[in-house]
Amino acid sequence: MAAVAKPRESLRWATLTLVALLVMGLAALGGGAPASAEGRHYVVATDVTFAPFEFQDERGHFVGIDMDLIHAIAEDQGFQVDIKPLGFDAALQAVQANQADAVMAGMSITDERRHTFDFSDPYFDSGVQMAVLATNDDIRTYADLRGKRVAVKNGTEGAAFAESIKNHYGFTTVSFADSSSMYDEVRTGNSVAVFDDYPVLAYGIEQGNGFKTVTAKEAGNSYGMAVNKGRNAEFLRAFNAGLRNLKGSGRYDEIVERYLGAAAITPDNSFLGLLKSTFPLLMLGLRMTLILTAVSIVIALALGVLFGLLRVSRSIWLRAIGTTYVDIFRGTPLLVQAFFIYFGIPTALGIQMSAMTAGIITLSLNAGAYMTEIVRGGILSVDKGQMEAARSLGMGYLPTMRKVILPQAFRTMIPSYINQFVITLKDTSILSVIGIAELTQTGRIIIARNFQSFTMWLIIGIIYFVVIMTLTKLSDRMEKRLVK
Amino acid sequence: MTQDTAADTVKIRIEGLHKSFGDLVVLDGIDTTIAHGEVVCVIGPSGSGKSTFLRCLNKLEDITAGRVIVDGFDLTDKRVDLDRVRQHIGMVFQHFNLFPHLSVIDNVTLAPLVTRKMDRRGAERRAMELLGQVGLADKAHVKPSTLSGGQKQRVAIARALAMNPSIMLFDEATSALDPEMVGDVLEVLRELARGGMTMVVVTHEMGFAREVGTRVIFMAGGHIVEEGPPAEIFDHPKHPRLQDFLSKVL
Repeated sequence: MAAVAKPRESLRWATLTLVALLVMGLAALGGGAPASAEGRHYVVATDVTFAPFEFQDERGHFVGIDMDLIHAIAEDQGFQVDIKPLGFDAALQAVQANQADAVMAGMSITDERRHTFDFSDPYFDSGVQMAVLATNDDIRTYADLRGKRVAVKNGTEGAAFAESIKNHYGFTTVSFADSSSMYDEVRTGNSVAVFDDYPVLAYGIEQGNGFKTVTAKEAGNSYGMAVNKGRNAEFLRAFNAGLRNLKGSGRYDEIVERYLGAAAITPDNSFLGLLKSTFPLLMLGLRMTLILTAVSIVIALALGVLFGLLRVSRSIWLRAIGTTYVDIFRGTPLLVQAFFIYFGIPTALGIQMSAMTAGIITLSLNAGAYMTEIVRGGILSVDKGQMEAARSLGMGYLPTMRKVILPQAFRTMIPSYINQFVITLKDTSILSVIGIAELTQTGRIIIARNFQSFTMWLIIGIIYFVVIMTLTKLSDRMEKRLVK
Repeated sequence: MTQDTAADTVKIRIEGLHKSFGDLVVLDGIDTTIAHGEVVCVIGPSGSGKSTFLRCLNKLEDITAGRVIVDGFDLTDKRVDLDRVRQHIGMVFQHFNLFPHLSVIDNVTLAPLVTRKMDRRGAERRAMELLGQVGLADKAHVKPSTLSGGQKQRVAIARALAMNPSIMLFDEATSALDPEMVGDVLEVLRELARGGMTMVVVTHEMGFAREVGTRVIFMAGGHIVEEGPPAEIFDHPKHPRLQDFLSKVL
């Protein structure tokens, strides 16, 4: 302050204001009271496919080393956590978009990531290890990989390590988006080995995924919890303090042991065994799928009628609005729409939006575009003499639409509407990318835990099929009654 | 509208009416007036523009040029509330255009209920009266699809009359009917004419035009070629095209 002590009124005022703002800002950051995280509520984003750090157990609870640690730390430090299992990439984006306060997902602390995130103290020392099929006796060292293919998961330490040694040992790598695809690649014989963090491999092997490790683990990175750079500093402090307490009390070792120790449970991985153990979870997922579908298709119908009327309007401007809406949502992939609405809009506008809200908005707008065309087709299918007769009686345009044209249009629309209903129901599966626990996402979560991709996708496929068939038959019957 | 001494008796004044669909000129300058209580029958070969002419009288067709003035309201004036004007002009179509999703009585009561703050009881009483007038009181609660063509057209007339119009337009109202149905519908028209309704009737029924019409307009090629009392038109046609036309249809 002494440097700017020159008695220039305006400068002094500016300085004072700046100091006042700084103090207010710090107070806000500290959340009032004893500058701590106590009593606060934090949203922690995480992966869904990273056992043993985070995965869903049979009862649908998120468990794993990360989950148990964050809950124990929250209890120790007196704050609340809300877990959002989004998938690794989506979790990082959610924190950057301030949709979540932190990401804790077996995330290695690297210099590159420090540019974008602030990390907690390391809470787990990992390291990459190689695994091969238990029945494979040919691969014992990295040297045995010469001329073979190796499967890795996008963006992981395992992938980076494999890349760094592949030229030296003469093998090639192939990348996958999630662990189960990586393992399946080896099971089908296309690749001979996987590289991944050793706790992940150890847990999978323990779950009976049919792999084994033959080489020692490489010294590797440490895992930390990350927050958006420059934000939530008090959350990091609380996390670090809680972690120290847990290590001191022995709770930390207890938690790690729970997942990496030789607990050795042998699950029933037969079709019926899996169906029985996962059914309650799958039904929760199915319920979410049906809720998303039902809410979205109702909103889509309203949007469809609104924009459908614009599409058949005599005003070129109103028609242009309708056309633009339809073109945008039919001309872009639903997946991109979901990402844009969930990540893009909140970042741009600085608001928060739940995945459920974003999901319903996405599906409604998307299905609404198709409904618009269905409504337009329905309106155009009504004989134009109907419009003329009503208008010649002195009825206005909108009353004519409501009382004469739309009731007739709806009748011809019913088959298309049912068709759109089924499409929207199937489209809900795409919302798994933003972490909504609908049926497909539930399946991915279960597979991340038990590695039984073939049987689980079969079960999930059958559930979709049965539900869609039932709904189709029901609506066929309803249609016959209505059209009569 | 006030410069004309006969202003009170003029229902519709048509001045220099032109209508084209793209390059196709359908009406090429029509000038005439229709007086209160007149029954004007419009005849002519197909493609002569008589239906388009009729549809311009309540502006179901956009008017390319000229003016149509109904009860003093210029339909080409953007400030005129078309819906209000149309409420006084009933129209009956060749293909009936009944509302298939509504019962017969709901067809008749819909427009009064929507456009006038009428209570349902009153609207239905009036509808039953009109359906009785066209001989269909017993069909009030069936769907139009169960009716014969003649019955449908009589419902359509009742529907138009429910708005208490002072002008009725008929666009080839009997052309889509089986011959044995035509009589019933024409009887309803005759009844309306006797009651003093101003009517413009586009028709192929020359007998009807001669018997009921107070004036006959012969149109061809988008023009009014000849007009006059039925006896003049049918017994002493002057224009060669009218003579030619009559020789074919009579």
